[in-house]
Amino acid sequence: MKLSICHLYPDVLNLYGDTGNILCLKKRLEWRGIGCEVTPLPIGAKADLARFDLFFIGGGQDFEQEVLLADLHGGKDRALRSAVEDEKVFLCICGGYQMMGQYYRTHTGEQLDFIGALDFHTVGSDLRMIGNYMFTCSEKNGASTVVGFENHSGKTFLGDGVSPLGKVVSGYGNNGEDGTEGARYKNVFGAYCHGPMLPKNPAFADLILQTALSRRYPGAALPQRDDSLERRAHDYMANRLARTN
Amino acid sequence: MDPRVFLAVSACKLSIRLLRLTGRGGTAIPGKIALKICPDLLGRLARDVSCAIITGTNGKTTSARMAEEIYLRAGVPCFANRSGANLINGITSAFIENATLTGKPKKRHAVIECDEAASKAVCYLVDPAVVLVTNVFRDQLDRYGEVSGTLSNIYTGLKNAPNAVVCLNADCSLTASLADRIPNRVIFFGVDVPIYKNPVSEVSDAPYCIHCKHEYDYTYRTFGHLGGFYCPDCGYKRPEPQLAVTGILETGPASTRVRMRVFGEDLLVTVNLPGGYNIYNAAGAAALSEAAGFSRETAKAAIAGFSCGFGRMEAFDLGGKSARMILVKNPAGCNQVINYLSALDEKALFVCCLNDNSADGKDVSWIWDVNFETLSDIADRVPEILVAGIRAGDMAVRLKYAGFDETKLRVFDGDYDALITAMQAQPLPVVIMPTYTAMMALRAKMSAAFGGRDFWE
Repeated sequence: MKLSICHLYPDVLNLYGDTGNILCLKKRLEWRGIGCEVTPLPIGAKADLARFDLFFIGGGQDFEQEVLLADLHGGKDRALRSAVEDEKVFLCICGGYQMMGQYYRTHTGEQLDFIGALDFHTVGSDLRMIGNYMFTCSEKNGASTVVGFENHSGKTFLGDGVSPLGKVVSGYGNNGEDGTEGARYKNVFGAYCHGPMLPKNPAFADLILQTALSRRYPGAALPQRDDSLERRAHDYMANRLARTN
Repeated sequence: MDPRVFLAVSACKLSIRLLRLTGRGGTAIPGKIALKICPDLLGRLARDVSCAIITGTNGKTTSARMAEEIYLRAGVPCFANRSGANLINGITSAFIENATLTGKPKKRHAVIECDEAASKAVCYLVDPAVVLVTNVFRDQLDRYGEVSGTLSNIYTGLKNAPNAVVCLNADCSLTASLADRIPNRVIFFGVDVPIYKNPVSEVSDAPYCIHCKHEYDYTYRTFGHLGGFYCPDCGYKRPEPQLAVTGILETGPASTRVRMRVFGEDLLVTVNLPGGYNIYNAAGAAALSEAAGFSRETAKAAIAGFSCGFGRMEAFDLGGKSARMILVKNPAGCNQVINYLSALDEKALFVCCLNDNSADGKDVSWIWDVNFETLSDIADRVPEILVAGIRAGDMAVRLKYAGFDETKLRVFDGDYDALITAMQAQPLPVVIMPTYTAMMALRAKMSAAFGGRDFWE
């Protein structure tokens, strides 16, 4: 068995250690004897997206956003939308998450059109939503508790076509208002979770891998791993946030 | 004399004494008290002081130590904020310590390292004679946001320093871009040649042109985004430095020998610290020396003879066992430490201490941007890694995913006594990589157990 992972825009969407997610996916496959090929797809590079099982998109700096949007609107947006509809698995963090939605409206009213693969939009605010945070995934997203660090000023509001990834236990989540965090549509998982997200949330990491594996190899299952070191890091933050809540 | 100055200065001096009596070296709190009593105190105390400000993401403390040594060897008495308290409170404390009770300066020169965001106010208040900008890298994003935010803080600081000669890192596309935006006299410093044979791979913090957003090309790189950058689209390129390191002659475990060209004059310089990033610190300090008007011989002797401290390759004696402490705080700096460590050929015990207090950066995500994989490549020379600090759990996970066998990792959390005992109970020299507050805590414990200077000395 082998999974093909596409790391989209590693040259610009590489803030806050999010690439640790790629490392985590790769290692958790390798440790289980499952093959894994990671293909970086920087700005300007072309590839047939249909050959990938799993896509990762991280967060970036505002400075490079224009460069990125030009590349997206040069055709990648269409390819990504059809990959989404084709039930490919996506993990999208922060800026990469926002990018999957309809648009971003800055707090001065300027609108940046994103790829519109998912039914949500983001609105800029003066509030920086920053800090360690925790949310509980909904039942269909594995029901695990996820801890991480959020750092965004955009407020994301979900439309009818998507469901939240989970419910905020501590922190802000999508917008600091409705108690939701992240989005799930088909096999797309979006969240504001830096940290990076996957290494110290092994249950969620395995949910991503299992979803990709099941799509490619129906019936295949991931063997259990000893995650005591990962859980130790996870539990420390979960307990700390539970105490301060 | 304004009675508030007297009151503020005496309250501050008193609190410094009290803190030291109780064994704590809090250098920021006294300044905070003083500024409450007299908000424009720093400006008043700086009026008769000629000040060199050192700012930038990495290398502030080391460059400042080198600069201080240059002043001392030139016979110019100066004071400094030596314990790294580089926000306005800590800097005010340093000026108060240098002042008489009536607010007159005892020494008339100061070498001040200054946080990038704080440089806006500090430059305004002290009207510096020299400003050195070391570099701009991604730092604690929870405090500063993106690198463009850091750069704009420094720019505001420079605008508030109209009388300063400004020393800028020519190899840093972000820092060098400041030159065109200020009227000041600028001295560029840089390194003309690659530094490492096999540098760790790392993400560039500035891949796209600051002027036109086209991707930079490089004629060579030193590390990170530093090197001979040029923009093929708009033509923005590395300026020719007046002070350039033109050759790396010898790199040892304790020092580096380089060739430096200073305004056309070739010098052989020994940098009394290992590590490629310290070559930049030496070049920056030498540029500062030019700006302040000291002789090249003095700068050369100071860079060869200064002793570092405060967690910058600082050496400790752990009851007969050698230990080095190397402060880490962001990916660029930590990757340079990894470059240094992976070039050592002796076995060592590594200790990582990760805290997430606000002085460390509350977001510990940055450890995933550090190339710890390079350390796992030399795993045969690293029999064990001790992991400690508030976020020891995260650090241990990072090392596991970097390829270290879990059995090689021992996690101590905040128990520094047990950590120190474990460092002693094994035969190898120790290399400790702590974040800022972990360093403070560990230093205090180690000084108490084995003696040594307190950090404010």
